[in-house]
Amino acid sequence: MEPVIRLEGVARDFSDGRVTRRVLKETSLDVMPGELTVLAGPSGSGKTTLLTIVGLVLKPSAGRITVAGADATGLTEDELASLRLAKFGFVFQQAALVPALSALDNVLIAGAVQGARIGDAERREAVRLLTELGMAGFLEARPQRLSGGQQQRVGIARALFGNPAVILCDEPTSALDHESSEVVLAALKRLSRDPNRGVVLVTHDPRVFPYADRLVKMEDGAVVYDSRAATGGT
Amino acid sequence: MRRHAAVRMLLHDRSTTAGAVLGVIAIVFLVGQQLAVLFGLLSLMTALVDNSGADIWVLSRNAGTIGSAGSLPSRYVDRLAGLPEIEWAMPVVYGGGQLRLTDGTYQAVTVVGVVRPAMAGGPWQFARGSSAELLPYEGATVDTFDLADLGRPVPGQVVEINSRRVRVAGYTQGSRAFGPPLVFTNATKARELAGLPADRCSNILVRLKPGADAGASLRRIRALLPRADAITSSELAGNTIVYNLTSTGIGSSFGLSTLVGILVGVVIITLTMYTNVINRQRDFAVLRALGARRRDVFYIILFQALTIGAVGLLIGLFLLAGFLFGVRGSRLPANLPLWLPPAHVLLTFLLCLGGSALALRRALKIEPASAFR
Repeated sequence: MEPVIRLEGVARDFSDGRVTRRVLKETSLDVMPGELTVLAGPSGSGKTTLLTIVGLVLKPSAGRITVAGADATGLTEDELASLRLAKFGFVFQQAALVPALSALDNVLIAGAVQGARIGDAERREAVRLLTELGMAGFLEARPQRLSGGQQQRVGIARALFGNPAVILCDEPTSALDHESSEVVLAALKRLSRDPNRGVVLVTHDPRVFPYADRLVKMEDGAVVYDSRAATGGT
Repeated sequence: MRRHAAVRMLLHDRSTTAGAVLGVIAIVFLVGQQLAVLFGLLSLMTALVDNSGADIWVLSRNAGTIGSAGSLPSRYVDRLAGLPEIEWAMPVVYGGGQLRLTDGTYQAVTVVGVVRPAMAGGPWQFARGSSAELLPYEGATVDTFDLADLGRPVPGQVVEINSRRVRVAGYTQGSRAFGPPLVFTNATKARELAGLPADRCSNILVRLKPGADAGASLRRIRALLPRADAITSSELAGNTIVYNLTSTGIGSSFGLSTLVGILVGVVIITLTMYTNVINRQRDFAVLRALGARRRDVFYIILFQALTIGAVGLLIGLFLLAGFLFGVRGSRLPANLPLWLPPAHVLLTFLLCLGGSALALRRALKIEPASAFR
């Protein structure tokens, strides 16, 4: 099976103008469809940097990225933005919804950031996604009226809008209580069952590990454990 | 949807949006009001020229402006009238005067003396009476705007100007100029009041025949009267405006207040738009991560700036219209030339864009990766 995303020897340096520090050492990673990959590690281990590189949000200092078989390494900023819009869904820490917009509009904005027209079909799709995540009664609610778990479910609906090939989640349960975390993780697990979609989740919470199809542990900017390698998988 | 999001963001941040709208209102109203009064004053400055019916003015050498010191021989009128391209040439007399009020105090006036039949340079609108009121030896008119300052003289009442008798024979309506109230009379009386010899006048007004070449006529008049100056009415109006703006401080005063109005508005818009972007950094970062390009962020902020501009303009122009309506018919001159409102709208939108430049600069620097911090 072809990986949705392939990272080959990617690394990332950060510089404060005087000192350049390599925060992500040469790393290779395949994101496979139908799989929930969990990137785990303590703060500063480089897992979020790796996630943003996987999501084409941050350009690597070295290495090569392939999205659905096509090289994305040399793309311009605008081309990367368009590729993100077409192929990726993002779930952020604390949902990161736009407070000025209703739950429904927060989902729709994901399809309209580049100015595309939102018609009835898109609206129906957004309502369907929110309904599937149990948010049917909160379509017009502003984020500040929603609980953390509800906000994160709107965030997941936003990530799903446009049926992306990859969903990237940055600590999606960090601000949630146990019960809400269970609901959100179950939803992400269910989404990863789609054979055309891969899910990558960054966390430092061990309670998430049981949901992983593949667990990748990081320390000091390097992968120190990969369950696939450990079990001899491909 | 982008526009919808932009507007929702504005409505969500009500206080900052209200601040920015207030900035635009300040620009539109303060600048518009200052310019309206300035143009009102400008129209007063050139009222005598604009309403004279003359194409060319003959002035004493180096006088430059209307009513300046110096006089011309009245015989020049006949020499000018002899030129084939000239329809008429009329002398006009200007002089300063002190009108004695019933309580014994004095009010400064400008006396304007005209001659028949054209009465060129005379009053252009009457509230009571007509040009015929100026024909009798003592006949004069005062303007309804100035009645209070002049002790409310009634028609037929005799008043004293420079200790000479003048009979108020009629009222003009809006025949006003920049400076003291105008008192129109015949040239003979005006000479008497101004202390000008019977064979002298202040200026000579010239009307050209239809189709006459103004440039060629000017050259002929200058050659004919080498000891006088001849300029077109539009030149004279321009000279008068420049003279008044530079010598009275009106230019710097109005220029400064207009500039302050613009600066205040721009500063308010800049600060509020900038604050808005600072408060919404995470939102813009998230939008960028979701796939928004820099130009999409640019579009949102631009749309917000123009929306703020449009709302502020609407309210500001409404207030300005109220101001103009309020001062209509009052002593405060206010006049907006037709070209000014569209120019004002354009200026306001440009200032909104200028005011949002800092916010734009900041917003365009927001990296999508910051959504993950």
